[in-house]
Amino acid sequence: MYRVGIDIGGTFTDLLLIAEDGRAVIGKTLTTPGDPSLAVETALRPALGEGSTRLAASERGSTKLTTGGTLVHGTTLVTNAIIERKGAPTALLTTEGFRDALEIGREHRYELYDLNLDFPKPLVPRYLRFDVPERMAADGSELKPLDETFVRRLVAELRDKGIAAIAVCYLNSFRNPAHERRAAEIIAEVAPQIRVSLSSEVVAEIREYQRASTTVANVYVQERVANYLAELRRRLERLSFNGSFFVMLSSGGIATAQTAAKFPVRLLESGPAAGALAAAHLGARAGFPDLLSFDMGGTTAKLCAVEGGRPLKTHDFEVDRIYRFRRGSGLPVKIPVIDMIEIGAGGGSIARVDALGLLKVGPESSGAEPGPACYARGGDDPTVTDADLVLGYLDPNYFLGGKMKLDVEAARRALARLAKPLGFSIEQVAWGIHRIVNENMANAARAHLGERGKDPRRMPLYAFGGAGPVHAYRIAEILHLPALLSPVCAGVGSTFGLLAAPLAFDFVRSAYSRLDSLDWSAANALLDEMAREGRGVLESSGLSPAEISYERTADMRYVGQGHEVSVPLPEGALKDGDVAKIGATFEEVYRALYGRKGPDVPLEVVNWRVVASGPRPRMDFHLPSGDGSRDNPLKGKRRAYFPECGGYVEAPVYDRYALAPGATLSGPAIVEERESTLIIGGRGRARVDEHLNVIMEFADGR
Amino acid sequence: MADKSIDPVTLEVIWNRLLSVANEQQDTLMRTAFSTIVRESQDLACGVFDTRGRMIAQSISGTPGHINAMATSMRHFLAAYPPEKLAPGDVLLTNDPWMTAGQINDITVATPIFKEGRLVALFANTCHAADIGGRILSAEAREGYEEGLRLPIMKLFDGGKPNEILLQIVRANVRLPDEVVGDLYAQTACNDAGGRALLEMMKEFGLESIDPVAEEIIGRSETAVRDKIRELPDGEWLSETWSDGFEEPIVIRCRVRVEEDEVSIDFAGSSPQSARGINVVLNYTHAYASFAVKAAIYPDVPHNEGSFRPVRVTAPPGSILNALEPAPVASRQAVGHFVPSAIFAALAGALPGRLMAPGADPIWLSVWRGQNPPFTMTIFQVGGTGARPAKDGLSAVGFPSGVAGVPAEVIESLSSLVMRRRELRPDSGGAGAWRGGLGQLTEFANRAPGRWSVSCIVDRTRYSAPGLLGGKPGMAGEVFLEDGLRPNPKAQLELGADQIVHLNPPGGGGYGDPFERDPELVRQDVVAGYVTPEGAQRDYGVAIRFSGTKDELVRLPHQWTIDKETTASLRRRGE
Repeated sequence: MYRVGIDIGGTFTDLLLIAEDGRAVIGKTLTTPGDPSLAVETALRPALGEGSTRLAASERGSTKLTTGGTLVHGTTLVTNAIIERKGAPTALLTTEGFRDALEIGREHRYELYDLNLDFPKPLVPRYLRFDVPERMAADGSELKPLDETFVRRLVAELRDKGIAAIAVCYLNSFRNPAHERRAAEIIAEVAPQIRVSLSSEVVAEIREYQRASTTVANVYVQERVANYLAELRRRLERLSFNGSFFVMLSSGGIATAQTAAKFPVRLLESGPAAGALAAAHLGARAGFPDLLSFDMGGTTAKLCAVEGGRPLKTHDFEVDRIYRFRRGSGLPVKIPVIDMIEIGAGGGSIARVDALGLLKVGPESSGAEPGPACYARGGDDPTVTDADLVLGYLDPNYFLGGKMKLDVEAARRALARLAKPLGFSIEQVAWGIHRIVNENMANAARAHLGERGKDPRRMPLYAFGGAGPVHAYRIAEILHLPALLSPVCAGVGSTFGLLAAPLAFDFVRSAYSRLDSLDWSAANALLDEMAREGRGVLESSGLSPAEISYERTADMRYVGQGHEVSVPLPEGALKDGDVAKIGATFEEVYRALYGRKGPDVPLEVVNWRVVASGPRPRMDFHLPSGDGSRDNPLKGKRRAYFPECGGYVEAPVYDRYALAPGATLSGPAIVEERESTLIIGGRGRARVDEHLNVIMEFADGR
Repeated sequence: MADKSIDPVTLEVIWNRLLSVANEQQDTLMRTAFSTIVRESQDLACGVFDTRGRMIAQSISGTPGHINAMATSMRHFLAAYPPEKLAPGDVLLTNDPWMTAGQINDITVATPIFKEGRLVALFANTCHAADIGGRILSAEAREGYEEGLRLPIMKLFDGGKPNEILLQIVRANVRLPDEVVGDLYAQTACNDAGGRALLEMMKEFGLESIDPVAEEIIGRSETAVRDKIRELPDGEWLSETWSDGFEEPIVIRCRVRVEEDEVSIDFAGSSPQSARGINVVLNYTHAYASFAVKAAIYPDVPHNEGSFRPVRVTAPPGSILNALEPAPVASRQAVGHFVPSAIFAALAGALPGRLMAPGADPIWLSVWRGQNPPFTMTIFQVGGTGARPAKDGLSAVGFPSGVAGVPAEVIESLSSLVMRRRELRPDSGGAGAWRGGLGQLTEFANRAPGRWSVSCIVDRTRYSAPGLLGGKPGMAGEVFLEDGLRPNPKAQLELGADQIVHLNPPGGGGYGDPFERDPELVRQDVVAGYVTPEGAQRDYGVAIRFSGTKDELVRLPHQWTIDKETTASLRRRGE
């Protein structure tokens, strides 16, 4: 059975097909924003042709794809629909007196000194947010019954006025969802065509603003996602594809199109999630189960810690950050998401000299249009790519495999503008920009790892994305990382992740309780309920009960603390006897995060979580190119800047596609492939492993 | 590196690293803190100091009052414990209002960092403790002694060992010993995290001392600030701001003088210090004054010792903005938060098109207590900010304070309080060409039996936020009980079981003539319900008609139209 991964990015739609015999086919086509499923078909048609020929050979003359295959899809559709406000007209039903929770937010200025700051507009305008008479208390008891007559009347009016989606978020519904569920029944009776999301189903977690924001986002994009997935399905059928079709979730699991259409907010960031999964999987295959995934593109860099072959996860996310990637400037979305940090550092990041006479890089970016000065498309701001070009790291005649010529003189002119105020030569400016953007990324990485209690010195760097391998060596140097790994075909990196992901779905229930006085039968009931739901979702996706595994955790903290840590729970029904064990696990996790034991305060559980997963797919494949049969890998020499070698030196340039397993390289060196260039610093020693990864290991205390 | 000047790239690299060190410090604090105030509301500040106690970097969030006041506190720490009296593992603390953030709940913890036995830096942070004994946080005290446990500068840890005596005294004096002591640990851990990161950085760059870097940072910042100030016209501007006060109103008279590359701000002529706890220590006045000058004139220059230097802040001793011991000061923010608005009001003429109208200003703070089971809950709320020269004000967003609100569900899960309402307050934003931000309507009840109480420290209930350049004032704040009683908003209220408390924070002032506001923007405000149709007609001279029926629940934008004729005649009459 063959398997296909398709990732729709902002610019390119990437494809990876792995046939039964392990042969991989790679495809790349321009994304078609008007109808993204069109690009999917364009990429898939030739690949399936190739794949089916092999199938025909291996499966006794069968020429059709009737044996079925698996297609896994990642998309930025949801992110774009939210950022561009292209969802359905949506109404929000809230507890009487709380319709503004969505707009009041956290009452907090995310930036202290900017008098002109703004907040993103809520997805539901105030005239579509409605107070509903009803009230639950924090313990789940009913303070005021739901006014059903009112709901009926309101929904009829919404229906008559063309509202297509309703989010319901009542206070304390994470504790008792009865009123939300009843409202859903009424909506189904009065207006069965209206899509409904209940906050208790989308994210049963405390904090009304974040929960409402998540629920609204979910139902706001639901129709668009459902239509898109249906359209895609039709196209696949026209291609005679009748295998199973899955969608990548932000958590790093995959789900059926049906589940995805019900909880579309969980598709946010599924592309980058796939990138991190690919890093995790291919890194582990190369012998590095713990690593730091580093993806640097044109406008941003994304970093993610991977542990034991799995990217770390978090449950807090913000979409549509409107202020320099600043925390607090976006719409909060509480979903399980691969724990990534994104910063404004990319090839297009603009350098400038600030009021203090210091060199700054980013987060402003020249983007793809007009792009860096060296693109010669009208941009004249000095950027990271311009610096990389002047430093000799990029070949002006082999950018994107030679598809695009870079203008070195334009880059020098742009950098020259900064040379004077800094008192630097153009080359010094270029090195300054390179160094500062690396420092910015290293700082973000250090903070990200530090917050998660990880020591960078134990995390090899896995570099991909167009600019990632150009900057990776220096970042590894700054952070004292033990190794650096650069995969081949980094240009379609995310698609590997799509095919490495298991079927999985996450569940959460908030229920505050002290550990020492916990009602275990209630806790077990919640855990069982979530496991049952998980089993339902996965069985309907085609798994048998024996294939499903459950991971149960509790979000815990010292009573009164604000942030929880995730604590794995023992198996089986929990009981009083488990308290000591759970407490000890908490202490372990806490110490790992904060370096010391907390004060002598009792523990409490805030959330219970269950992740139900299917088996991880097998990933045996070999890439089509790079078998070492090409000519001499040494393409030539180029003048490039390596300060540890004394400045500009003639560095050898290698053809990545001609490097065979077992090859070794010594820095300074440059390794080129179509979509990226790997820089090996003066003290770097690299080898090519059996999977064509280039690996550098650094002796400690370099 | 110390012997030659540092090149701008290396300096940028090291400086960035220092900022990320301060952020690591803050992050640790927020994630390990216990009190709701620290973790939900970010009522905190973190910073890095050189060996002379000069602040060189601060964390990204926090509140201006804390950040700048903490910077001043370091001088007092070093006076009490000069470097030769400090050893690795020592941790100092104080909550002396005159040495730090002007309120006894604000505890500053400072940690000296050593490299091979030599002091290389200090880290400090300030957090609002959940309780500090004495009266519940209120403005009611007559003397500082009533406000709680005052901790002079002393060691919290001595060579790594906790000061058990101090901790016992603290535990015995506060209502929430676990939270308060837990936070002292969190504050210590946070400085440790910063110190570790700093030492690592020094090792990497081969730095034996950060003082030369500090010198550069301070020098460049100071120069940049002076350059920015020099761009302003020289002159002297005045403003007058009124606050509710406790028993009687308080006036803040502000004189801002720009002379070449310095700004001096003087509060002579302001009210004398009050008999109640709304007095401000000069440290705190200075903190908010320098915050305002930075936001107005040089928002991009990083905050550190150097950027403080060109700004002089004075207030007569014994006045409300320079209160002397043992004045009660627990609710100093009720007056201190007016300082930025007072300075903006004075500077508005000198900086046309750059400053906003006054807003709600002081944060609304309420401390709730109840029984069965007992709880003490501190809640922050905010009104609207003033309208800006080309934008409306922000609704329900704090300014100048940077603290955040507490979710209703968190309040209810930690206490028996029931928050009955939290919504934007229609017509509360001051009318103007640009509208002031909206205040809020909020209601609290208690579902546990027995008596309960609240101590509110709120303002702008008598003096609403004025408009700027023809803008109208925002709506004043309100504190009242369901039965109609309107108590002194700064007094402590004892409540019966069935009472309902209304707290309605004020709106921000408008900017420019409301009759100049685009009628379409007024219509959109009516559609959203930010402005009522009556308000649109009364305040903006725009007549908006609803074409639907009276009992329609769903009122879509197209159902609201501008009555152009009536609008034209209304606006003519206004001329």
